[in-house]
Amino acid sequence: MVEKAMTIKTMPQEDQLGSGHGACGGCGLSTAVNNVLRILGPDTVVYAPASCLLVFSAAYPISAFKVPFIYSAFENTGAVISGISAGLRKQGKQTYVVGIAGDGGTFDIGLQALAGAAERNDDVLYVCVDNEAYMNTGTQRSGSTPFGAWTTTTPVGSKTQGKRSFKKDMMCVVAGQDVAYAATLSIAHPNDFVKKVEKAKAMRGFRFLHIMTPCTSGWKTDPAVTYDLARLAVETGMWALYEIENGETTVTYRPEEMLPVENYLKLQGRFRHMSKEDIDTLQRWLCKRWDQRYHTDMVSKEEPKGDKELAMCGEETEGL
Amino acid sequence: MYEIRFHGRGGQGAVMAAQTIAEAAVYEGLEAIAFPFFGAERRGAPIMAFARIDDKKISLRTQVYQPDMVVVMEESLIEIEPVADGLKPGGCAVVNSKLSPNQIDLGVKARCATVDATSIALEMLKAPIVNTAILGAMARADDFVSIKAVKEAIASRFGEHLGEEAGRINAQAAQMAYEKVSIGESLAQRPITKRKMWLPTWQEMPPGVALYHEKRGEIEVGPGSSWQTRTGTWRTKTPRYLRDKCVRCARCWFICPDAAIKREADDHIDINYDYCKGCGMCASICPAKAIEMTKGAKL
Repeated sequence: MVEKAMTIKTMPQEDQLGSGHGACGGCGLSTAVNNVLRILGPDTVVYAPASCLLVFSAAYPISAFKVPFIYSAFENTGAVISGISAGLRKQGKQTYVVGIAGDGGTFDIGLQALAGAAERNDDVLYVCVDNEAYMNTGTQRSGSTPFGAWTTTTPVGSKTQGKRSFKKDMMCVVAGQDVAYAATLSIAHPNDFVKKVEKAKAMRGFRFLHIMTPCTSGWKTDPAVTYDLARLAVETGMWALYEIENGETTVTYRPEEMLPVENYLKLQGRFRHMSKEDIDTLQRWLCKRWDQRYHTDMVSKEEPKGDKELAMCGEETEGL
Repeated sequence: MYEIRFHGRGGQGAVMAAQTIAEAAVYEGLEAIAFPFFGAERRGAPIMAFARIDDKKISLRTQVYQPDMVVVMEESLIEIEPVADGLKPGGCAVVNSKLSPNQIDLGVKARCATVDATSIALEMLKAPIVNTAILGAMARADDFVSIKAVKEAIASRFGEHLGEEAGRINAQAAQMAYEKVSIGESLAQRPITKRKMWLPTWQEMPPGVALYHEKRGEIEVGPGSSWQTRTGTWRTKTPRYLRDKCVRCARCWFICPDAAIKREADDHIDINYDYCKGCGMCASICPAKAIEMTKGAKL
């Protein structure tokens, strides 16, 4: 008998990132982290490098984490979690080790330590919470910042109009190292989210979860639209939901049709300045990505039936 | 030395106000510094900013603990912050409020100036950004800088960031606030409760600064100790739960960034208003519109 995948209705309910932390109202990051930790459970060790997460949840001596939490330096998430994992193994413990880094700590500053841990295939879970800039220090561009976005280091003026290069494909970088499991997640697709975290929890070896977490202050949006942004990102192709297991890529949610990227951009202050040409450039780049992702080699031939419904948690809202 | 402490909410422009008043003092030929409270507080959280003005070089870099003037950018902060803590005898308070000064309960009897900066900002700037109007009121409440210098500083600082026209309108908002200020004396009915803290010496620090969940000094520290911060005070909008409409899908519980939604045994929910920041994500994810956002910090 095949066991039914975990859903938001059946997942553990005990909070591991408690109330009272100092994140902005409408922070996508704290939603993502709390839910990852709920599923991993109380027998977990968390490491977070310099990031919003560190500052809002664990400003000494107060901590919002109910599980043990450790902090060292910005660039070494991969190395520190590898070390904790080795130490616990020596003690014969089965504790889960999770490193939660932002996009700066993963795409740029933490890349070498991440690559090292991935190459050694250490038994750790690496979570990248991607809010597309260095938000903790007041919005500087990172390798994850999308084309055209305003940040303090890609300003908008007469000579330049926001970031001029495209977002780095971090999943390709990680998957290129033959890791045990890599997946992209979105807080707007709760059941897909839960299923992937549960899957990663059950595996051994290096596992990478990449979560898009909209940021209300850096993206200059209303806190209430955080959910809509996460949803629209997938529908417009700015974000995609898939997983890579044993080198095989499976799309876990395929949008019905591609929405124009403008629908996503117009909700955010960081894209307000964008010219028609720039939007077209971004749209063309997205269309190319979309075709690669959904129509060619990345689409699995045996996509399980009903998975799309599960991703949108359709079965949980029967009778609507 | 003249010291000022601003109380605002993250995103309201308290830091900008502190910088502008310092710039105004420089135009008057004085020395000045301005800096924000360095902490982890984010948008919506009660925050502080500071300014110091003197006729000689300022080398003091600590926060302002005994201000000559406290500036309260939003009336509701009086309920949740000890705003008048350490106010010097003879010092004054500037409060953004529709009320008259003798209705403002700061916890100490002090000279108090009130101005309805929110209405002025809405009228002049078409947005509830109160920092420039507050600056005008400050110039009237005490004579440490002139309104002329304040307007000049606003035109320069806001003009530089937002364009000349914005600088001019903001300076007008300051002038209007200057004219509309009412000055009186505050009430002293509420107790001023200081923040509880643990301030260890280096000898008291545990090895590797590692902490268990335990009580140290006046507070709980270590894993799970964040519950002591009631982030519900940040709220300006409040979710109302409509139990009849709820389809028990638990999506709001999943999306809540503050773990302020609890599930009952049958998956109806219970919102914990001690921690809810009022972001509205629960209302936007709800497929049955069983959560609606209402204005104000209370239902």
